[in-house]
Amino acid sequence: MEPGETAIKDTSNDLRLGQVQLHQEVELISIDLPDDQAEPFFERGFLPGCRICPVRSSPSGDPIVNIDGSQMAIRRETANCLCVRTLSDL
Amino acid sequence: MSTSDENAHLEKVAETTGKIPLVALAGAPNSGKTTLFNRLTGLRQKVANYPGVTVEKHIGELRSNGQVVADLVDLPGIHGFSARTLDEKITKDVLEGHVEGIRKPDAIVMVTDSTRLESQLMLVEQILELNLPTLLVLNMSDELQERGGSVNAEALAERLGIRVVWTNGRTGEGTEKIMAYISEIKSGNSTSATVSGRLKRSTHPKKLPVLERFSERKKAVKEVVSEAKFVPPEPSATSGYLDSLVLHRIWGPIIFFTVVLFVFQSIFTWAAPLMDGIELLIETSGVWLSRVLPDTWLKSLLVNGIWAGVGSVVVFLPQILILFLFIGILEDSGYMARAAVIADRLMYRIGLQGKAFLPLLSGYACAVPAILSARTIEDDRDRLATIFVTPFMTCSARLPVYVLLIAAFIPNEPFLGTFLNQRAGVLILLYALGIVAAIMTAFILKRTLLKAEPSAFIMELPPYRLPSLQTLGLRLLDRSRIFLLRVGKIIFSVTIILWILTQFPRTEFGPPDIEESALGQIGHIIEPAIEPLGFDWRIGIGLITSLAAREVIVGTLGTIYGIETADEESLDLQSALQESLSFPAAIGLLVFFAFALQCMATVATVRRETGGWKWASFQFFYMLALGYFGALVAFNIF
Repeated sequence: MEPGETAIKDTSNDLRLGQVQLHQEVELISIDLPDDQAEPFFERGFLPGCRICPVRSSPSGDPIVNIDGSQMAIRRETANCLCVRTLSDL
Repeated sequence: MSTSDENAHLEKVAETTGKIPLVALAGAPNSGKTTLFNRLTGLRQKVANYPGVTVEKHIGELRSNGQVVADLVDLPGIHGFSARTLDEKITKDVLEGHVEGIRKPDAIVMVTDSTRLESQLMLVEQILELNLPTLLVLNMSDELQERGGSVNAEALAERLGIRVVWTNGRTGEGTEKIMAYISEIKSGNSTSATVSGRLKRSTHPKKLPVLERFSERKKAVKEVVSEAKFVPPEPSATSGYLDSLVLHRIWGPIIFFTVVLFVFQSIFTWAAPLMDGIELLIETSGVWLSRVLPDTWLKSLLVNGIWAGVGSVVVFLPQILILFLFIGILEDSGYMARAAVIADRLMYRIGLQGKAFLPLLSGYACAVPAILSARTIEDDRDRLATIFVTPFMTCSARLPVYVLLIAAFIPNEPFLGTFLNQRAGVLILLYALGIVAAIMTAFILKRTLLKAEPSAFIMELPPYRLPSLQTLGLRLLDRSRIFLLRVGKIIFSVTIILWILTQFPRTEFGPPDIEESALGQIGHIIEPAIEPLGFDWRIGIGLITSLAAREVIVGTLGTIYGIETADEESLDLQSALQESLSFPAAIGLLVFFAFALQCMATVATVRRETGGWKWASFQFFYMLALGYFGALVAFNIF
């Protein structure tokens, strides 16, 4: 990309956090939620560029991730609103 | 630093005179802030409410050599100042001096969990912008070291331009440094402590949209921690191991149910003897009072009104204390967060969320503190729905009513072999009835009145930590205080009002017979309405008096049937009931109490927490209707 050019984002094919395998570190691209629902995530460090690593699943299959040294449990449906990319894509 | 705005706020006096400085403790949740606050203030603290809102104000005194050095206010744990949640809004307002009844703090002690420094420092920029003397506390120093992390405190101090100290909340190490800092703060315009904290940023904060603001802040924080050579610690091995059990697909739910059952069992096994003891005490002292005092209306007021009223409140303390002790241990150890995760999927299906687990569980002791604990639920609609269904949880006050009616009407015979007897079976069914009602109500609410887009759920799982005894003890004191004062006050005043209604209209011999009294007349007035349920005017009076608190009906029925010192185990009262209630009506009465909101204290609490009468009255009438129809159905099918 040339400097100044902005990429048009097509998020439909992006990897979602809910699909990431355990212990695979990924990087957050964007959060597909309205501002007021996304803010709690921003506050807790879920910002574009941050590293997230799922460490386990809850008994009902909701991912528990490591981010900035904290552990967060996210509902499956919510995790599918977080667009991420695996580090090997960089 | 002084502006006319600030001067105006300096006029506002907090709990003491303006000469004593006010220092605020701020920080993220799970930073050990409250444990430090408790260490600094000990028993010299009190809880109130910020005016007009439901956020609790924790203020305490810091003393040194018997002298008050400063007032401390423990602000709610927050992640930012977005004002999206009430906690964040209040914290910001207090720090800016906009809250009535508490003046602008003279300094801020910002407590951080040093093991998660990078995320915890996100708050520091906004704190520094307030331009108050600030101390940064790196808490959990032992954990940071144990897990191989480190940070250069001096470099951090220089970069931020404020003082930085290490503490270990668990042992109390380092608390003296906080005290030393606070001692230097003078009330008013003092700038003796460094104030010019600065977090360099390239763009101006307020103009940016949400995401950009946070990203900029994050960038700035990253620079700070890298200059301070922050080495993040390894993840806690113990927590990881515990979580692999606690959140295991199979073991997780098993552990969860075991824990819940254990908490319940504690009510029945351990609270019971204590409650019996208290009841005995109240009874004997009541009898003594009765003998000692001359036979006047004052004696009646004291013994039958006030003393009985006090007794009916105090008798619940053992249950409430034991239950909240266990809940406190679960919360402080970090288990509660995991429980909320396990419960979330189920709660979500019925229209609530994982964090509703705590209020619902607490509701088994008493709905009032349970409703207060619903504050942790950020989503408004989820919170409202949780508050709405919490009173369906079988609270301690329902038990005397259940026990009385079950003893009078259910035979003490085995049910499923010798394992379960019929009485226990009915009790369990009544508990289940409450749960079913709660589930269905939540489900319907979330699909109709409180319908919303599915909310995003995120739950922080703090590392497992050993609860601090001091914090546990203080919180227990706090919960009992809430119960005794708020609930107690209301039960007490309604009991007095009801007592007054029994005293009029007076006859030439003194107070009227219960049937002729104002209360009795009210009972007669509502009799037609409750006749379809198999109830007569006597039960009607009981229903009215139990509006104060459910268990009051036991004493009322005792009075109506002329039985002295009646309680739920009184055989005389049981036989009296057997004569005036048929079996189906008795079942109906049980169902009524399972559903109806016979508790003014709960109504008052809901009104406070929801900011008005709309939801409180809707809840009251909804539960009353459910109780009425439930009793009607029961009366007709048995």
